[in-house]
Amino acid sequence: MANIKFSNVGKSFGDNKVINNFNFQGKDDEFLVLVGPSGCGKSTLLRMIAGLEQIDQGEIQINNEVINEMHPSKRHTAMVFQSYALYPHMNVYDNMSFGLKIEKKTKEEIHSKVLSAAKTLKIEDLLERRPKELSGGQRQRVAIGRAITRNPKIFLFDEPLSNLDAALRAEMRVEISRLHQKIKTNIIYVTHDQVEAMTLADRIVILNNGNIEQVGTPNEIYTNPDNIFVAQFIGTPKMNIFKINSENIVSNNKINILGSSIPFSGINLDKKNYYIGIRPEHLTLNENQEFNFTPKIELIENLGNEKIVYMVSEHNQLCAKISSDIQINNTFGFNLKNILLFDENGLRIRS
Amino acid sequence: MKIKNLLIYSIISSFFLLSLISIWKILVTLQGLKLENFNTTIIFILGFLFSFFNVFISERLNFIFKFLFFALIFVYVDGFLISKLPIWYNIGIVFILYFFASKTKKYNSNFLNNEHSTQLILFDFLTLFGIVLFSFVILFPFYMMLVTSFKTQIALLVNPLDFSIDFNQDLKELFKSYFVIFTSYNFGKYILTSTIVSLGTVFITLIFAIPAAYAIARLNFFGKTFMSTSILIIYMFPAIVLVIPLYTVFSQLGLRNSISGLLIVYTATTLPVAIYMLQGYFKSIPKELEEAAILDKLSWFGIIIKIILPLSIPAISSVALYVFMIAWNEFLFSLMFLDNPNSFTLSRAIQYLSGDAETPRQYLMAGSVIVTLPVLFIFVYFEKYLVSGLTAGSVKG
Repeated sequence: MANIKFSNVGKSFGDNKVINNFNFQGKDDEFLVLVGPSGCGKSTLLRMIAGLEQIDQGEIQINNEVINEMHPSKRHTAMVFQSYALYPHMNVYDNMSFGLKIEKKTKEEIHSKVLSAAKTLKIEDLLERRPKELSGGQRQRVAIGRAITRNPKIFLFDEPLSNLDAALRAEMRVEISRLHQKIKTNIIYVTHDQVEAMTLADRIVILNNGNIEQVGTPNEIYTNPDNIFVAQFIGTPKMNIFKINSENIVSNNKINILGSSIPFSGINLDKKNYYIGIRPEHLTLNENQEFNFTPKIELIENLGNEKIVYMVSEHNQLCAKISSDIQINNTFGFNLKNILLFDENGLRIRS
Repeated sequence: MKIKNLLIYSIISSFFLLSLISIWKILVTLQGLKLENFNTTIIFILGFLFSFFNVFISERLNFIFKFLFFALIFVYVDGFLISKLPIWYNIGIVFILYFFASKTKKYNSNFLNNEHSTQLILFDFLTLFGIVLFSFVILFPFYMMLVTSFKTQIALLVNPLDFSIDFNQDLKELFKSYFVIFTSYNFGKYILTSTIVSLGTVFITLIFAIPAAYAIARLNFFGKTFMSTSILIIYMFPAIVLVIPLYTVFSQLGLRNSISGLLIVYTATTLPVAIYMLQGYFKSIPKELEEAAILDKLSWFGIIIKIILPLSIPAISSVALYVFMIAWNEFLFSLMFLDNPNSFTLSRAIQYLSGDAETPRQYLMAGSVIVTLPVLFIFVYFEKYLVSGLTAGSVKG
């Protein structure tokens, strides 16, 4: 049980402002994922919570206690590093018990804590081994186990799966999800992989250039993005975005696009530039769509269960994701409810 | 099959064989054998023929048979027919031929068909040739040193160019020089002084170098870049430039003829390189390990003791070894600062003995062997630490 609160947090390396006026309020026991492109400040934020980076301005509170000046080991956080950072000269047991030994806990207490952590992660057989005798997945488990023995209020994961191969990553993702259900503690998880963010998170914080772009549950972020950055960042392939010039705006609620004139309700359009977004999975070959268009198909990628179709229509590059058992003809269709409208600054216009 | 490759291979390999056997012949002359001539032509022709036919018969004949057959011909022609030499000489020749045959085993007709095989052969043999020649050049003085130390004064005077060891005399006679330098020349005391000075230097240097190297590798402080780049500046001055000012200073401070004076100078001269070597290694230790240790509530001091030191054993032992060797072999400063035989180090003591015309040569050589041996043993013992990479497995990769 812990909640974390950021108020006006800022951080700069030299002249380079990495994080600027960061405000956020966490909830109890939630799995929070910080996601963003590389260099967006997500890892820096995590290291500031852990105490490995100085907090330049503002303050971070855990359970209403300011932690800015607190020693890293007293913040009740435990960190899992991307590179595992296991001590190579100690075996797994010593690695996991190292922090407890320094805190001068009794031998029995250390033993029971290490064993229960090992049991949670199913690494009881590995306790005598050295890190170099472990596989990547096992090392990651030991690193998580070391964090568990610290009994923290908040777990900090810094891209823990990015050193693993694709199959193992999927497996460990499920295990981390299970672990959270089992131990019910706050987890702050940093990643650049949107799949991890979508599958693991209770709430996602999408960061870009040190600013929050959107906070929400995975479903909210996917269906209801606040801006073009979020819309394009989540989902593979990326959302199709095309620019609408003022001549394509027919009236104050009608836009000409892909050969159709689309009426929007509840909005008032000026003669300005707009952006239209539609997800590849919402372009379908089904005849019963509200609007249809006939693009020129350039390339089809077959992924087995689905096909990605790359095409051009009215100088707009488009891409569609369709089930692979559907025969591809030349007519694609889409529905009004799946179209997202953004203004010229990339902000969402909701109808 | 390329004729060019075949010819080049045969010529190079027979030159190699010629050089191997010539070295052996030089060594046996030292042992007192009288050779009328080196038979270079015969050896060259035999080597050439063997290399040549080796290419054709290599697949068809077992290696052992092939080598035995060749060795018999060689020993018969060179050893008995021409020179009539004793059996131990020919056994040596057989070993050389075994070495040669095993080295040329891989050059079969397939290998010679390869476009690049000439270059490969050339580099292979240059490497082998270099190893054999330079180890001979380097090891020969050691051999001389060893042999001379086992001789008597008379034997040395009768035939100074006889490099054989007479194993027929009894052991006490053989090791006489060693007994003498310990009993009448006080070498036990010199060894003790040298050991104290060398180990002391290692100890003090490490005590200063480890925190300094850690600070340069990890911490940010004012003047860090200047510090780390200027560490090696002391090596821009030749020691002879420093030694005279130091002599005056040490004379006034009363540090001449004292172990502590030597410790100060040796530490000062070895510290820069020690720091330089260690900081490079410390930088290679992943930073995350230390961050993990910080989260585990370790202080800076604790991090150095519990994380950095165990992981740096290879680097620290090589630095220790290096410092020990420098201090043990150091000569210039001990020559200048020590003039009282009571505080001599080993190298100074040998110089002192050699300056004395009455000191027999075999005693000097016995002393030299004693100076050399500890460094040799320590090197063999520490070698395993120098190669093992302890950081493997801590981080991906």
